[in-house]
Amino acid sequence: MKKSLAFISLLIFFVGMEFAAFSQQQRFPKPEFESGYTQPVTSMPVPSNGMFALLDVLVLIAALSLITWFILKKRSRTGVIAVSIFSILYFGFFREGCVCSVGSVQNVVLALFNPGYHIPLSALAFFVIPLVYTLFFGRTFCAGVCPLGAVQDVFLMRPVTLKKWLQKALGLIPYIYLGLSVLYAATATDFIICRYDPFVGIFRFNATFFMYAIGAAFLLISIFIARPYCRFFCPYGVILNLVSRVSKNHLTITPSNCIQCKLCESSCPLDAINKPVGVKQMEDKRSATRRFILLGLIIPALMIVGGWTGANFHENLAKVNSKVRLADEMLHFDSKTMEESLEIVGFRTSGKPVKQLYQEASEIVKQFYYGGWILGAFIGLVIGLALSGLSTYRYREDYTPDKGGCVSCARCLKYCPVEK
Amino acid sequence: MANKFKINRTNLSLWKGIAMVAGTFSFVICMLVLVNYIQINRIDPVNTEVINSLVNRLNENPNDVQLREQIREMDLLVRKAYFTNQWQVKAGGYLFLFGIIVTAIALQLFYAGKQQLPQVSEEEEENIILFREKARKWIVIGGFGMVGITLLFAFLTHKELGNQFTEAATIAKAKHAETKQTNITIVAKEEITEPVVEEKVVEEALKEEIVVPVAEEEKVVVEEAKTSSYKGTYPSKEMMANFPSFRGPGGNAIAYQKNIPIEWDGASGKNILWKQPVPIHAYNSPVIWGNKLFLSGASAASREVYCYDRNNGKLLWTAKAEQIAGSPANPPEVTPDTGHSASTVTTDGNLVFAIFSNGDLIAVDMSGKKQWAKNLGVPDNHYGHSSSLIVFEDKLIVQYDQKKNSKVMALSTSSGEEVWSTARKVKVSWASPVIVQNGDQVEILLAADPCIASYDAQTGKELWKIDCITGEVGPSVAYANGIVFALNEYASLVAIKPGAKPEILWEAYDYLSDVPSPIAYNDLLFVVTSYGAVACYNAKAGEILWEKEFDGGFYASPILADGKIYLMDRKGVMHIFKADKEYVELAPSSLGEKSDASPAFADGRVYIRGDKNLYCIGK
Repeated sequence: MKKSLAFISLLIFFVGMEFAAFSQQQRFPKPEFESGYTQPVTSMPVPSNGMFALLDVLVLIAALSLITWFILKKRSRTGVIAVSIFSILYFGFFREGCVCSVGSVQNVVLALFNPGYHIPLSALAFFVIPLVYTLFFGRTFCAGVCPLGAVQDVFLMRPVTLKKWLQKALGLIPYIYLGLSVLYAATATDFIICRYDPFVGIFRFNATFFMYAIGAAFLLISIFIARPYCRFFCPYGVILNLVSRVSKNHLTITPSNCIQCKLCESSCPLDAINKPVGVKQMEDKRSATRRFILLGLIIPALMIVGGWTGANFHENLAKVNSKVRLADEMLHFDSKTMEESLEIVGFRTSGKPVKQLYQEASEIVKQFYYGGWILGAFIGLVIGLALSGLSTYRYREDYTPDKGGCVSCARCLKYCPVEK
Repeated sequence: MANKFKINRTNLSLWKGIAMVAGTFSFVICMLVLVNYIQINRIDPVNTEVINSLVNRLNENPNDVQLREQIREMDLLVRKAYFTNQWQVKAGGYLFLFGIIVTAIALQLFYAGKQQLPQVSEEEEENIILFREKARKWIVIGGFGMVGITLLFAFLTHKELGNQFTEAATIAKAKHAETKQTNITIVAKEEITEPVVEEKVVEEALKEEIVVPVAEEEKVVVEEAKTSSYKGTYPSKEMMANFPSFRGPGGNAIAYQKNIPIEWDGASGKNILWKQPVPIHAYNSPVIWGNKLFLSGASAASREVYCYDRNNGKLLWTAKAEQIAGSPANPPEVTPDTGHSASTVTTDGNLVFAIFSNGDLIAVDMSGKKQWAKNLGVPDNHYGHSSSLIVFEDKLIVQYDQKKNSKVMALSTSSGEEVWSTARKVKVSWASPVIVQNGDQVEILLAADPCIASYDAQTGKELWKIDCITGEVGPSVAYANGIVFALNEYASLVAIKPGAKPEILWEAYDYLSDVPSPIAYNDLLFVVTSYGAVACYNAKAGEILWEKEFDGGFYASPILADGKIYLMDRKGVMHIFKADKEYVELAPSSLGEKSDASPAFADGRVYIRGDKNLYCIGK
């Protein structure tokens, strides 16, 4: 109770501070001048202090270490909640969701494909450090250090278990989202993960109505379905999922030997507990193997179909690029029947020659053609692997976390009656 | 173990109550914020019906001070309401967030209190085979659905976007072309009413008719920038009797010759006195001194200056620009529409000066003998250097605006030694310098992104500059009656009152040029666009007096002679019309071959460089 009151007080303090600062700005509306004075051009804010970037990295390491200690050593769900709330306040509201590990994927890709882009060290650190921790300890980053995951987690109240087949099917979306975000970052088009981050607008109190609505929808869904963004959208989660599968010291449900008491069976809202699989439950080995080989063999075909589809779709993909959009608009602009858009006016006043725009746009479209092939082939590969993976069976005796899907939220720990 | 499964009992009714109150509060706030948000989106504070009707009333009765005040008050009110709404939305957002957080905490504590001990599930064992089969089925269905929808969209919206852009780039590139050899001149004596060609007549004309603009009310205000006083007259009588540089003496697009023919026909030979092939094609224009006409031509391998006898068309000599110290082994890459010799040569009557795309600058005497040559460094210019040369007394003025280290310099005409050099913080420019006399000062006027700037021709000191132009500037400036006119495509047309504190008198956006330069004459300004439109502006007020569309498109800059404007279109048809407030066409005369060069004038004759041949037209 005391903890709750302390937390509410802290929250009121934070919100109050922001509110006071905002009110002060409103006290003096801009005056109107009759003398022809023009208001000065709004200047961009100065880049954030380098010290903050260093502090962010240190806080990330500290939070990761602390939460990992809570999960693996203390086996404490309360500790996870405490770190989650801290992450929401610090990485979320205070640092306004930037830099974040989820978005850092794009910085890394952009740096790989554009030699002229120098990736900020903090972005690189935010990409690498959670991966290193995941490699050793599982997805402790997702548990409560990532503000996007944490904010969904605090909203989870009445978890509903989705059908497993549906989870599997929806689980492919993050791979597609990852592929798209890599494509757009590699072509220096956009950081779509950041642009369509449903929670960053809430953290910043600044977003379009559409993004607020998306954020609110995710939070509402989070009340019933655990971490919908993490499970069915997060592109960084894809990478963490793969790395976590080989993690050495992943969280275990039981601190000792599993006694198959089944108490933990329905404790995971993410449905990330592998239940024991007996020989009787498995499919006939011969038919399963035959299907596995068959599905494995059609993977190249799926990749070709996917690549061809992606290549055909490349123009639509390319239209996300602002230069391509502008060039397309310029190309079809008819001064007799149409009014110039702000983008065209802006371009004209920039003085840049139109031929250069067309040349650049043409080059970008070409990049998207090849990118479309690669993206489509990647999606084909993912679908192929998912299909063949669904034809394999593993004998299992104990209740164990699904290392890839488990976000180490530590909810299951207190369900296990076994002591050390 | 007992502790592990201990459930913290909370005051369920308290947290339920808090959750309900906070939830209701959040809902109400959310609705209010939404309503406010919708309201903001529907209101445009600078375009309200009431104010607009009041403004209309004020337009009918501009002296109604009370109405004016009422509009101001109303405007302030509307703006205040708008910003108050914004403030309310933001403040509501904070309150909403606060309410949601309290609701979430209360609900969490409520559900924590309702927690039950873990129980063994009594559900039947999961059928793994069935779940995997279903998952595979839905992944396949999803995959096919995705491919189908993607392909449907792709085929419905497919339009060869890449090819369209490539073609558009090619067209735009061709359009941009060649001339960047624009030029400029600013003849200080704008009020001179075309003195006659013959030297004696010119002298008299100068004495009687030249009105020095400094004496006028609208004289150029450059007094504050006095750096050196100039006692002479620029352009000189000799220059005015000849056609010594691109767009004539000083480069202001005004020729001082009279009795120029307006009718000819290349196909039938009507009024074509002679026609001679030019050895190497280029986009520069002819210049004339005495009986000699000069041109240059260049390819990647060769750079040459030609001298013709303008009376009979005989090629008198060819001077090659070769073996120049510092000249690069390989010429720079240039676009075909600019070429290696887009800059027009210039002469002071003693020497002829030519510059090429690789930075080679050569001075030859009137018999074709090389006097000096130097390499200025390969200009970093993605289309090719095209700024033309111009002479001021004993100084050869070179505008060398490139990607880095742009500058304007004066070289000694006799030795090529640098007399002065002034660094310029500008981007690449293809415009040419214009020289104009303002009182006791001679100014070099240059155009390049981002400014129009003036330099003292004697010292190179920057007199004034004004940021008002952007992009790849091709057109040179024009000058008349103490006003400088500059323009560029996708930027604007500006009239500048020069001086230590230059001001923009007016600005227009209707007709902009990327290649041809304008002409300012008396109170008129003639703007020619590369796509074929020509407009005449009131030079003082900026209003359009007339506009006319032509088919051929223009790259050549027009020249005014004998009160008539000679404007060559890209098909080789010279459009001749009166330099007047109303459009009066005098003649379209065809050359019979394409041309992008500006004409030169001498002794009642017109000299035109065609695509392949040089023409002399006269009666």
